[in-house]
Amino acid sequence: MKTRLTGLATAFLLSAGAVQAAECIAPANPGGGWDFTCRQIGKILYDIGQVDKPVQVTNMAGGGGGLAFASVVNERNDDGDLIVAASQATATRLAQNAYGGATADQVRFVGAIGADPGVIVVAADSPLNSLDDLMNAIKAGDDVSFAGGSAAGGFDHLKVLMLAKEAGISDIRSIKYIGVDGGADAITQTIGGFTTGMTGDMSEIVGFLKSGEVKALAVLTEERVPGFEDVPTAVEQGYKTVAVNWRGLYVPKGISDDRFNEWGQKLAAVAESAEWKEAMAANGLAPFTKVGGDFQSWVDGVIADTEELSREIGVIQ
Amino acid sequence: MLRSDRVFGLVVILAALAYIASALQLQTSFLSDPMGSKSFPIGLGAVAVLCGIVMIFKPEDEAEWPAPVAILKIFISVVVMVAYAYALKPLGFLIPTTLAAGILSYLITPRLTFNVMVGIGLAIGLYLLFRYALGLETLQAIPKGWGG
Amino acid sequence: MDILSNLALGFSVALSPWTLMLAVIGCFLGTIIGALPGLGPSNGVAILIPLTFSLGLDATSALVLLTSVYYGAMYGGRISSILLNIPGDEPALMTTLDGYPMAKNGRPGDALVISGVASFVGALLATIGLMLLAPLLSRVAYQFGPAEYFALYLLAFCTLGGLSSKNQAKAAFAAALGLAIATIGLDNQTGMPRFTGGNLHLMDGVDFLVPLVGLFAVSEVLIYIEKQGKDSSLGIKLEKVTIPFREIGQSFFTMLRASLVGFVAGVLPGAGASLGSFLAYMSEKSIAGKKGGFGTGVARGIAAPEAGNNAAAGGALVPMLTLGVPGSGTTAVLLALLMTLNITPGPTLFTDRPEVVWGLIASLLIANFVLLVMNVPMVKLFVYILAVPPSLLLPGVMMISFVGIFSLTGSYFDLLLMTGFGVMGYLFRKIGIPTVPIILGILLGKHMEDALRRAMILSDGDVSYLWSSPIAIGLWVAAIVGFVAPMFLRPILKRPDRVID
Repeated sequence: MKTRLTGLATAFLLSAGAVQAAECIAPANPGGGWDFTCRQIGKILYDIGQVDKPVQVTNMAGGGGGLAFASVVNERNDDGDLIVAASQATATRLAQNAYGGATADQVRFVGAIGADPGVIVVAADSPLNSLDDLMNAIKAGDDVSFAGGSAAGGFDHLKVLMLAKEAGISDIRSIKYIGVDGGADAITQTIGGFTTGMTGDMSEIVGFLKSGEVKALAVLTEERVPGFEDVPTAVEQGYKTVAVNWRGLYVPKGISDDRFNEWGQKLAAVAESAEWKEAMAANGLAPFTKVGGDFQSWVDGVIADTEELSREIGVIQ
Repeated sequence: MLRSDRVFGLVVILAALAYIASALQLQTSFLSDPMGSKSFPIGLGAVAVLCGIVMIFKPEDEAEWPAPVAILKIFISVVVMVAYAYALKPLGFLIPTTLAAGILSYLITPRLTFNVMVGIGLAIGLYLLFRYALGLETLQAIPKGWGG
Repeated sequence: MDILSNLALGFSVALSPWTLMLAVIGCFLGTIIGALPGLGPSNGVAILIPLTFSLGLDATSALVLLTSVYYGAMYGGRISSILLNIPGDEPALMTTLDGYPMAKNGRPGDALVISGVASFVGALLATIGLMLLAPLLSRVAYQFGPAEYFALYLLAFCTLGGLSSKNQAKAAFAAALGLAIATIGLDNQTGMPRFTGGNLHLMDGVDFLVPLVGLFAVSEVLIYIEKQGKDSSLGIKLEKVTIPFREIGQSFFTMLRASLVGFVAGVLPGAGASLGSFLAYMSEKSIAGKKGGFGTGVARGIAAPEAGNNAAAGGALVPMLTLGVPGSGTTAVLLALLMTLNITPGPTLFTDRPEVVWGLIASLLIANFVLLVMNVPMVKLFVYILAVPPSLLLPGVMMISFVGIFSLTGSYFDLLLMTGFGVMGYLFRKIGIPTVPIILGILLGKHMEDALRRAMILSDGDVSYLWSSPIAIGLWVAAIVGFVAPMFLRPILKRPDRVID
């Protein structure tokens, strides 16, 4: 096994040419998604021989990723050895102009190699059993509230609003939503009965689902997620809402196209590795690989959609 | 009678009013949020104003302010700290630390040879501690591009 | 005996000469990290995570090393609190109140030994609590919604009235200032920035370490420069270090009560070690009454916060392991470590991965005993810090503070902010504004406002929601009967006592 890996590594090294020590910026403190992305991708890139020195991870917390974004754009625009962890949160904040005027076209999105499917869950003893039940309760004017790990207007909140819009609810702004400190906190509030439902990512609910303390009303993917086949999708319940929190990377704008494509290939190699597949399974991520120009145009689409919805509900003017 | 507490009480009131004014500028929330972003800060500002008023009307005994020489020393040390804050990144760790630690040492007990040794010793010792024992990678010994 | 066999499993995983060595190294590094101002348990653990990868440690070894660092830092924080009046990290804040006076009275060794034993008792009881009750206690978190949390924070602020009874206006102002500093940054509810002046560095708010180090370490140095060493612990005559058995015995029940208070505070996500040590100190102070002499350097005033904060550190592992909710910055970092090792904490962790949980518990017990054995003899070494010439020690403290804060974000901005807080702390100490409530306000302010706003959203602005559950009512009653009422009664009953800063 080891010799095979080394052989593989040598092959990659030869094909990729000499590579420098790369740096990955996690635009947040240690812990949490971006830090995880940098550390895992960095570790695997080295393990499978895509880089010949360990990737150095730098934590640059500030402005919900805005500080790192500004620093990449202004100070390191042509650094070909720099990668930055990104996710749907990056796209949402860019769409909502939360990075102080910075725009998505100031960097290049390399690719995503995994996604955390959006979910809507309620406590196990809740009388609600489907998305229809939930939306009808809102329409009937029942006291329905949601907890999620993002601030109001953030991605977790938008998931609820997208579903409500699909359900034909006109006054989506009056749906109660509290933003708490992360998905686990949101689920605690829901099990405790303080809120009706929790909106978040699949990875956040895995343990609670297994222990039977919550039931998932819907997963927001095109098809059911492997390993969670008994959770129905929103689509099959008649709500055309797809929302996944992708995990990926962006790089500075000013690097050469060759270098950009090289990073895309490296990332694709990580996505193929057994190590990454294991990490995804352990963390509730679903396979979701898009790299290069393909990914860039997909992100542009996501940002445009988010911007439209945000404008509609008044997060941005 | 003019006492430090009265002056301070006035400063507190002015600062609190400025804080309230800036809270009033905050955008109102767009969703169901009965309290909004403003209420809590405005409440805090109001409490601070009350505290300021109490300080003005019920001042305590006058504080002991230092002699002019001590004030000068404190002023110099603050200037050194500010300069150090700006210098640490562009000039690397060793040079600013030697200077700042040396000057602070001199301000505490002026014994020139010892102060110089303190500056150099701390710069090297702390660099080794943070960089190698604690593995702090962000610390640069000397500026980038000086060949190190 | 399920627990015994589980524990045996834990020790079989965690106890080997190799892991024992890692525990000793971790405890030593942790103690140093904890004692250095600006480097607390959370950034200590964060700094060391990459080290575990580059050493190629397996999951168990990494866990043993980092929990040792975690507990070591909790122990170490008290050292600079007691010797220099500079809390090494935020949970050690309350230890300055009696620890430093005792050191100034010429008994730094006694203060360190008492606090070491109290830390041990607190941590040991918390680990036992974690062992016996964790799955059960995880249910407690389900009982705490926005209203209950708000009442809990309110209780914490009401106890401030007892902290300095001479001038309530100054204490209240300090708390309001801390709360106001906490409002800087992104508003958790709307996601919009507040009071940042458009500065990106302020978007995530002011990290509490910056004001903590500024208000305590920097201002301490400025005070020393002004007074040239008068009224300081530096250069006091050192006595021979002995173990003060009598005082340890006298504070035994204080340690037990404080451990309980701390552990409960730790179990609640969103309260954490600082609240644990704060509530432990304030409740012991009010039990002891005026005769207790809290604030003048009494043993119980040292034992209470140290037992409290170490018990809270253990308690904070309960929601982290059983719910995946990190109760404090440090547990957030430990959570990150577990996730990088492909272990996802949650309700099924205890049944799915018993070797991880019990290995962790075993390594906590190991770390705790290693720390006790290491710390008591090391006291002799620590007190010699006070014999170091001030012109070497204080610049050293300053430079360590700068590097510690610099390591947070690698930006000059936090350093400037820290210097600003230093000047502010100096002025405040001159005119008798207590600085402890400022830190408390910064630590709890965001949580308190968020809890209140969430409660108002869920209840459509109905204020009575805030006292609509038995737990919330209990906390309100405790706040009013225990602390607010005595504040108004005390001036009638007794003459006011001295201010503590």
